[in-house]
Amino acid sequence: MRKLLQLVFGDARNVASVAVALLAAYGISRIAPAASGAVLVLVLIAAAAVQAF
Amino acid sequence: MSAAQWGGASALFLASAVEWVEAFTIVLAVALTIGWRRASSAAAAALAVIALLIAVTGVGLEAAQADVDRIRTAIGILLLLFGLRWYVKAIRRFAGRTALHDETREFAATRGQLEQAESRAAWIVAFKGVLLEGLEVWLLVVALGRTLSYVAAAGSAVAALVAVISVGLALKAPLTRVPENTLKYMVACAILAFGSYWGLGGIVGERAAWPPGDITLVLLFAVYAVAGRIIARAARMQGSGKPAQARA
Repeated sequence: MRKLLQLVFGDARNVASVAVALLAAYGISRIAPAASGAVLVLVLIAAAAVQAF
Repeated sequence: MSAAQWGGASALFLASAVEWVEAFTIVLAVALTIGWRRASSAAAAALAVIALLIAVTGVGLEAAQADVDRIRTAIGILLLLFGLRWYVKAIRRFAGRTALHDETREFAATRGQLEQAESRAAWIVAFKGVLLEGLEVWLLVVALGRTLSYVAAAGSAVAALVAVISVGLALKAPLTRVPENTLKYMVACAILAFGSYWGLGGIVGERAAWPPGDITLVLLFAVYAVAGRIIARAARMQGSGKPAQARA
């Protein structure tokens, strides 16, 4: 079961990265909806960079 | 078929092929220990479990069609989680931070593990190996099944399985020449693109979040692909000299 959960969600850093990216994008969407996609992508790429280094 | 459907089918085929190659390596190692008949029966049993999971999930999703928006959002988030994990792994491998997946080494390690094992233990190794790789395929079929029909998604995974088995049985050797990391990287970019599009689109609204429409998927793929290579290059330059970690 643990293996399956890890297979789906990854580790805590992975889950946190996606959660932060979605929250940031949602927050921006309240002010500028069209910018929310760019924010999501940028935060995800930044999270990937942090995890890759 | 639309561009998004082609993208989904191709991503699913390639991702499944990578997983099936890994599963084939394990089955091959087990077959040389306990014979093809028993190794094949273990693989077939694991594949039957995966097929059952795909069928049950398909029926479940069909029954839940009423709330398409929620399903789309949930699947988008699932794809983001799955895609980011593959994306980071592939970047780390390009950067030399994590050792590349080596089918020859995997084959030798499994053979070594089986040398002292009894026939039943070897059968379980083959079953577990195929099941674990197959579970990733199941997740992708469920997630990407939305771009195609669910049957077409499952068909892509089966087509990849048939292709890998055909080549594998012809060679009777680990499929070492498959550029696994490049394939996984491309698939990760595609999964992240679909995940971003549906995940945020489901929360904020597709038109609001992605004004250009479906074409955004292509742009997202390109952005993730370029950014990942830049990160990999920077990580490689910064970490040159450090030994790669064993496979995560």
